[in-house]
Order: sequence, then C-alpha cells, then structure tokens
Amino acid sequence: MKHLIPEFERMKARFPAGFDSSLVLPCLHRIQADRGFVADEDIVGLCEYLKVPRIQVEEVLSYYTMLRREGIGKTHLQVCRNIACSMRGAEDVIEHACKRLGVKPGQTTADGKFTLSTVECLGSCGTAPVLMVNDAYHENMTLEKLDALIAGLS
Amino acid sequence: MPGRQLIMNFEVTPASHTLADYRARGGYETLVKALGMAPADITKEVTASGLLGHGGAAFPVGRKWGVMKPNPGEIHYLCANADEGEPGTFKDRWILEHAPHLLVESMLITSYALGVRHAFVYIRGEFDLPYRRIQGAIDEAYAAGLLGKPVPGSDFALDIVVYRGAGSYVCGEASGLITSIEGRKPYPRNRPPRLTVKGLFQKPTVINNVESLANITGIIRMGAEEFRKVGTAKSPGTQLISISGHIAKPGVYEVEYGYSWAKFLDEDCGGMLHGAKMKCVVPGGISTKVLTRPEIENLTLSHESVNPAGSGLGSGGMIVIAEGTCMVRLLQVLLRFYHHESCGQCTPCREGMGWMHRIIDRIVAGEGVPDDIERLYAISHANDGTTICGMGDAAGFATVGILNKFRDEFEYWIANKRSKMDGRLECRA
Amino acid sequence: MPRLTIDGREIEAKAGQTVMQAARDHGIFIPYFCWHPNLSVPGNCRICVVGVAEKDGGEWVEIACNMPAAEGMVVFTASEKVKARRKATMEFITLNHPVDCGICDKAGECTLQDYHFEYNGAASVSRDAKTHATKHFDLSERIVLDNERCIQCTRCVRFTREISMSNGLGMLDRGDHSIVRPSPDGAFAKDAYSDNVIDLCPVGALLAKDFLHKARVWYLKATPSVCPGCERGCGVNLWHRKDEWKLRSPRQAARNEGIDRVTPIENPAVNGPWVCNKARDLPRLFGRVRATGPLFKGAPAPCEAAVLEARALIAEAKRPVAVVSSWASNEELAAFKAAFGSRFALVAKRDHEPQPGEVVQDDLLIRADKNPNAAGVRAVLGECGTEVPKDADLVLVWGEGFDFRAVPAGAKIVFLNAFLAPENGHADVFLPLSIQTERSGHYTNFAGVTSRFERCFALPPGVLHAEELFGSLVGNGRGA
Ligand SMILES: Cc1cc2nc3c(=O)[nH]c(=O)nc-3n(C[C@H](O)[C@H](O)[C@H](O)COP(=O)(O)O)c2cc1C
Ligand code: SF4
Ligand code: SF4
Ligand code: SF4
Ligand code: FES
Ligand code: FES
Repeated sequence: MKHLIPEFERMKARFPAGFDSSLVLPCLHRIQADRGFVADEDIVGLCEYLKVPRIQVEEVLSYYTMLRREGIGKTHLQVCRNIACSMRGAEDVIEHACKRLGVKPGQTTADGKFTLSTVECLGSCGTAPVLMVNDAYHENMTLEKLDALIAGLS
Repeated sequence: MPGRQLIMNFEVTPASHTLADYRARGGYETLVKALGMAPADITKEVTASGLLGHGGAAFPVGRKWGVMKPNPGEIHYLCANADEGEPGTFKDRWILEHAPHLLVESMLITSYALGVRHAFVYIRGEFDLPYRRIQGAIDEAYAAGLLGKPVPGSDFALDIVVYRGAGSYVCGEASGLITSIEGRKPYPRNRPPRLTVKGLFQKPTVINNVESLANITGIIRMGAEEFRKVGTAKSPGTQLISISGHIAKPGVYEVEYGYSWAKFLDEDCGGMLHGAKMKCVVPGGISTKVLTRPEIENLTLSHESVNPAGSGLGSGGMIVIAEGTCMVRLLQVLLRFYHHESCGQCTPCREGMGWMHRIIDRIVAGEGVPDDIERLYAISHANDGTTICGMGDAAGFATVGILNKFRDEFEYWIANKRSKMDGRLECRA
Repeated sequence: MPRLTIDGREIEAKAGQTVMQAARDHGIFIPYFCWHPNLSVPGNCRICVVGVAEKDGGEWVEIACNMPAAEGMVVFTASEKVKARRKATMEFITLNHPVDCGICDKAGECTLQDYHFEYNGAASVSRDAKTHATKHFDLSERIVLDNERCIQCTRCVRFTREISMSNGLGMLDRGDHSIVRPSPDGAFAKDAYSDNVIDLCPVGALLAKDFLHKARVWYLKATPSVCPGCERGCGVNLWHRKDEWKLRSPRQAARNEGIDRVTPIENPAVNGPWVCNKARDLPRLFGRVRATGPLFKGAPAPCEAAVLEARALIAEAKRPVAVVSSWASNEELAAFKAAFGSRFALVAKRDHEPQPGEVVQDDLLIRADKNPNAAGVRAVLGECGTEVPKDADLVLVWGEGFDFRAVPAGAKIVFLNAFLAPENGHADVFLPLSIQTERSGHYTNFAGVTSRFERCFALPPGVLHAEELFGSLVGNGRGA
C-alpha cells in the first residue's frame, strides 16, 4: 500500500482541506485494484496514513459488497439477479454459468480462473440480463454469449 | 417521440459526450449567462420553474435550495446523486455517459447560486463507463479552465470530486450518501437536522439527483417561463423514464409530463414483449406500488395523474410485467433485495426485512401458512414512517402494493404449495 | 422557551431541548433503549415513539429522542397509535433475541425485560426460527459479548467514540447480520473506561467476566462509596450480599464479606455517569490479605499492650514525625489532629503510585495522584513536609506505600496499616487498621468536592478504627 501514497496524495489534493477521512473509500478502491483485495497490512498502513481509527476502516470494509478481504479468481463474473434481469432470463444465466464453471455463486473455480457471484440491480435493466466481467458490463446476455465469453477467457 | 425533449435533445454519436461537441451545441454559454446574474436570482428562477426532484420523492428543487442561505465565507457543499440504485432505474447513467458536460455545467451554475466551492458527484461503484465519462468530462473542464480556478470573467471557482460508492443501496439515500463521503459506514441520519442545515461534515449541503441538476442549465438558458411551457402546470418539464421488463423496446425515454401512459407503452415502447398481455406495471422504481393495466389505461405520465391512483412516478424506473408472471416470486426477489440492502441501523427495517424475506422464502418452499399474508402486511405497516430513512417505507409500499392486487396468488401458493403461474418471472415467446 | 403539552400536562421546555429531554425533566417517562443523556442521539431503536397532534385532529408518530420540543406541540406518550407502534417495535426487537432471562446476569436490571412485560407481553408471533449469532465472544479480558442478546442500540460503540475515545468497538457488516466487534488493534482491551459499556448496555449482551453468574442482582445491595483509586474520587456503588442472602456454607463464607461488583454513581461535579476500570477492580484492592493482629517487632501481641506500647513510644519521643496517609478520611484526619495537635512534625505520603501499564492521567477522569484524599490532608492538617527529617527519633507511619529506608537510624517505628506486608514486622509496634468498606467517612477530591462513603461490612476481629485509636495513643508513658 505504501507505494500508492504518491497517488493518494494527488487524490487528497482534489478534496477540500480536512477531508482525510473521506479518502478511506477511494484509497480502499485503489488498494483493491492493486492487490485484488485489501490485506490487513493495507488497513494498518491506511489508518496510519489517514489518521483514522482502525475500526472505521473495518466497518467500511465489512459493509460494502464490492470490497474484499480475500483474493478471488482471475475473472470475476457477477450476474445481476434483481427484478428486471430475472424477468429477462437471469435465473437461466446463473444456472448455466454454475453448470459451465462447476461452481455455485460465491465460489471460485478450482483453477482459480473464475469467481462467480450474483449481485443486485446494476442500473442497467433496459439491457437485461446483465453480467459484469471484472469492471465491464456485458448487456443483453444470452446463454450463447455467455458460452463464448467463458470460452474466450478460459 | 413522447413529447418535447430538454435533455435527450441531440444526436448521440461516439463524440457527443466530449467538451468540443458540447460546446458546439451551445454548451457552457448558459454558465456565462448565470455568472452575470445574482446568485439569489438563479434560485428564484429555479423555484419559479417548478422543477421537481427526479431522485424519487419529486421534492421541489427550488424549495430545497431556498433553505441554503449563501453567506460569503461560510462553507456549503453540493452533491450530485448518481448512485442510481433503485432497481429498474438506469436513466442517470444516460446523462453520465452521453451528456456529462450538461451535468458539469449545471453543477457550476448550481454551485454559483448556492455559494458552493466544492461539489461532489457520488456515483455507484459498479458504474464503469459512466464513471469514466463523467470523470473525463470533469478532467476536460479542468483543462479548459472551467473548474479548479475562477471561471474566466468572474471570481467564482469550483472543484468537483467524483466519489465512487462500493455497493450499497442506502448510499443513494441523501444522508447515507453524505456519511459515505465522510468515509464512514454509510448509515443514514435522522432529520432534523435537515441536510441543508447540517450535511456533509456538518455543513449545509444540497443533494440533488443527476437528472434534477441536468435540468438547471436548460431552465437558466430558457428561463422559468419557457420551461413551464413544457409539461403540465403541476408537473413542469420532462422526466427520463427508464423502462424495462416485458416490453418490446426497453431503454431510456425522455417523456414530456402529461403524455398518455398507454400510448407511451403501446407506441413509443413498441408494446409488450412477444405480443404478450400486460398484467401490471411498476411505475417508478420498485418502491412505488404496482398498477394494473386497467388502472393506468386513462392516466397520463404526470404526478397529478399517477399519485391519485395510489402510486407515483418515483425515479422513473418503469418495469412492465406480462400476464403469466408469478407475483409471489417477484415479491421474493424484491424482499431478498431489501433484506440484502438494509443497513441494519434501525429496528423495524433491520428486523423486518429479514423477517419478510424468511416468510416469502418459506411460502415459496411450500411451507407457508395463511397467517403469513397478514404478517407481511403487519411488518410493512410497522415500517411505514417509523424508520430513519425511506428504505423501510419503500419495502413496505412495494409489498403492500403487490399483496393488495395479487393476494390470490399468495393464497394459492400457500394452499397448493406451488405457484398459480408456474413460478415464472420470464416472459417467453 | 417553548411550552408544550404532554399527556395533557402543560410543561415548559428549555431552549433546544428534545421532547425526550423535556419530558424527563418534568418526570414524564418515555421508554428508550438507544438514547442516553450523555451520548449522541442515533435514534435507531424507535421505541421512544410518541404521538403528536395534527391541526386536522389526526396524529402522527415520531421518535421523541430526536424531536425538538416546539411551542404549542401536543404530545401523547401512550395513545392507541403509540401503543401499537411500540408493541410492533418490541416484536421486532425480541424477534431474534433469545429471551433467556433465566440464565442472564442482567435479569432484574434489564430494560428489555421490563419493556417486554410493559409494552408487548405476548409470545413471539414469528413462525421462523430465530437467527443465530455468537453467544460468547470475548471482547476483552474483562468483558464477554452475547451477540444474540444484542439489540444493536450502538450505545457501547458510541461510548468508545464519544467518551473514552478509544474507538475500540464497531458495528461490522450490515442489516440483521450487523454485529458488535472490537477493533482488531486491541484498542478496546486498552480502553481504561471499557467497563462502562456493561452499565450502558440496556440488555444482557455485555457482561463482566468477574461477575459472570456470580449472583442474581436481587441478592445484592448497593452501598454508596467513593473510589479511592485516584484523587478524582468518583462516586461508586459497592455491591455486596444482602444479609438475608448471605451464603451459609463455610467454604463460601468469605464471599459474604467481599464486594461483588462496582458501578458508578452519577455525580456531575465529579465523574458524570462514568468511572474507570480501576473502580471495577476495587474488589481486588479491598480483598487483599489483611493484617489481623498487632505485632511487637514481628511477634504477635495483645491489642491493649500494643496500644499502650505505641502510646509510650510517642510520649517518650523528642522529635516525633507522623507520615500521614492520603487514604485517610477527613474524619480520621480530624481525629488525628484533635488527639495530637502539633505533637508531630508532619509528612504527607502518597500511599499509592501509578502502576506499570496504568493510565497516569487523561482528559476524562483519571488523575495522576492515585490517592483519594491528598486534598483532605492539606485541608485538615495544612501543608506537610515531603521528607522525614534526619533527626526524627520516632516515626509514626500511617498507611501503605512508605519506604522504610527513609527512617533515620535508631528511630522507633509505629506502623498503622490494614494489609499484610513484610514491613509490618519491622515496626517496633504494628497496629492493624480498618479499610474503607468497614467505616464511613468523607474524602475531598482535587477540585475541592467532598464526597461521603458508607460502611459495607462490620469490623473484622482484631482490627482497629484509626478514628477511635488516636485518642488512646495520647497520654503519659506506659501507665494507664
Ligand atoms: C433507500 C433510498 C435510496 C435512494 N436512492 C437514490 C438514488 O439512487 N438516486 C437518487 O437520486 N436518489 C435516491 N434516493 C432519494 C434521495 O434520498 C434524495 O431524495 C434525492 O437524491 C434528492 O434529489 P432530488 O430532490 O433531486 O430528487 C433514495 C432514497 C432512499 C430512501
Ligand atoms: S430504514 Fe433501513 S436502511 Fe434506512 S436507516 Fe433504517 S435500517 Fe438503515
Ligand atoms: S452490546 Fe449492548 S450496548 Fe452494545 S449495541 Fe448491543 S445492546 Fe447496545
Ligand atoms: S478516575 Fe480515579 S476515582 Fe474515578 S474510578 Fe478511576 S481511579 Fe477511581
Ligand atoms: S435488474 Fe439487473 S440491472 Fe437492474
Ligand atoms: S430512544 Fe429514541 S430511537 Fe431509541
């Protein structure tokens, strides 16, 4: 985490003075992008850097669904299962992905290539069903598109 | 096209979101006009326009601004709410992706009116392209000298920070959003104090939805009087409606208030998917009560028409549901969502959401009892107006809305241990 | 000042007060879990709902703890609407609460238990199994947490943020999975005020390990006292067995004369509603092994003879010096002065010094002088010296913490002390004294506030009260 401090300094410069505590979330995002998850040593370093109590960072990390304390597979497949996506076939997409990858939602394939998750509405209901492949939205998903996607990433 | 357009009034091209294209459409000219006005006159104009908030509650934007008394030297903040968490809603995303400079210009004007030096765009963490687009627009604005230092020809300067969420529905609630920006667990807060009195870091803060703000530039450019010529007397202007579900042409539509609802669905949106029959519609995000097709037949898309029918246009997240869809399963999906998103702070919502979720799961598992329906009602009522933020109420509205109209499906499942509708949510050809 | 009506009674609120505060000031009770007069107002439990009359004759309900009292407001604390809401809230709170009062140490002092009876009283209407959480989680070496009993009021969490400032506790996760946990950096274990969260907890979720299953609270009585842990002199209640609940078996008899737990007594002029953990550990301080009989140079002596010998030594001394205890009560100090006048050269002693690891001083309560009555010594006896004069020929040492190497060679020693210590045997005469729990009296704290402590137990056999003893130490030689 220490090597990211110059970047954090640039982020800080954009915030009003006295907003150090606000940097908790952006810094955690950045750390996770760097390491794939947030490790204990990152938390300790961040608390020291921002002068915020450890418990504040722990609460934030435990609260938000996008933040992780442990690593996951190389590709993170997140399938929306909220209302509009379910009405457009998300349940089939999830079932198919489970079968194709041999895992249940929340699990990682044995080869560490894929982690499959289900998520709530991604704000893309007009192009349902929606699937996130790492950071990118893949919209109007079909079973055929999903097969091609997985094949391309395997 | 469902009426006149104020926001989606340009052709989307691969470059239409850039500063150059925005300028070519007259972008940032209104800012110059605004900076020539007294700040209080801008608020007056916005109040006169009758603009209603597009975040869900349709609260008059001018009235919210009116609470902020810009005192020179005092700190005020502005946050654009781009959390877009209400299931069924995806219209702010359109603005962020295609008209980011409209938001930036509007935020400049708003900040000038409210004495704001630092503004935030709070965007949900999952949004990737929308994030890159709005951050890109802000970077362009910095490079062009519109942000970060006094706007040429004035002594007004503004900084805008894009703040990314990390997966949480309550961060869309204004006070949860603020606590999130403070870097803490995003617990919503009790009112009083109002956020316009004590908001971000205890300073007066205005939070408006992205679409509400995007309207500001137009209002100042054309003047309140012209703006009011669009829409109806009680619902001035337009609303971006994101429509999804069993509809032929889902997507974002800008609808002039007062437009026929049936016509919108049948013509503009191409009618039902696979020519199915329509069962009901969620008008404005899942927290608004469902209306059946007969109920909406003669309604127009305006607050004065939809509210008396016992629902609301909310966030404009319209979900169309075809005949044959299982409402028990549908409610199950909603209750799972509310349970997942309750922040857990206040008793009725923390305990109630989990309880309702367990009840509906039990019904679907064939272990329901007739009493369960009354229990769902009771829990919903016990969340009505008793919680810290609107989330508890919202879950209650959604539940009561569905139970009121489709009670028979619940009774059927409890009595027969299976769906009256084959448990389908999908509408197959 | 807004005037409002609560349950038909017109009251005047202070400016800026909430309905909750105004009601309390006027003796009107509104139930609460999360609200606490000394903490921020999270308004999360929702039990404090009250009704407010609307102009059109209707009634809306809102939480009293966060509602500003306003002019002309008409409030109902027990309307039908309010009662229904409160019942629903109680249903939610007990939904996943084990209601295991039978084995809970909080029973008898539990707000939830009281309210459940008062506002709900019904068996659970839920058909779904209660959710489970950790039953026995060690928050620190001192406190155990039962997450199933926790009603998530966040009082404990707010205490560590707003009062003790350790940031030792947090509410992790979300929704009905939310769970109180300590900060992994051990901040809570280091929090010198941590045990206050036990009193703050409205239910039996936080319990002192020292007190765990030791006694039902209705077996105990509280004696008002003063913590002698430092010159703050916080008000405390010392809890010990009621006479009718004394344990009979000889094996347990010792527990009858011991303190079972310590809780704060609110005193805005001294400690507010808090005490530090040192007060909670007073049972250990008072429970140390006692000196039970007089000694002549280490050999047991009859009491009367010992007193006479001490009196003679004092009478014979040419340059007697008294090393005065800063744990002595004002009454004992006055008795000393009345008996001896200016017979002694006086030296003030700090009986206790900060121990390794102990917080020396902070901004909340803890003071560096770890003795309760240094101010009382100054007030009663005037300024005293700090060192024993080199030419002293008798040193009367009163209380603990004296370095006997400071006694000039050849000088006689009379030692008055309550506890068993090697030094007891070095004195020419040693006399055992009572401790704070065996007498009543007053201490004067560093700010000049005088507080009273009451006796808890009878004087053990063989032990003397200093207040009575000093009179018998005055007189001529060894004769009567
Ligand atoms: C649980 C909950 C979630 C909300 N989510 C959003 C959201 O994602 N976007 C939004 O603009 N408003 C959301 N709101 C409404 C905001 O609290 C707030 O009213 C709105 O941003 C104000 O903007 P407006 O006055 O311009 O409509 C939400 C409210 C609640 C109770
Ligand atoms: S209503 Fe629900 S989401 Fe809102 S503050 Fe209460 S627990 Fe949190
Ligand atoms: S442990 Fe007690 S004080 Fe802490 S949140 Fe739970 S109920 Fe409240
Ligand atoms: S601050 Fe001093 S007097 Fe108060 S409880 Fe702690 S040790 Fe005792
Ligand atoms: S329901 Fe899947 S994106 Fe909205
Ligand atoms: S006491 Fe008012 S909400 Fe808890």
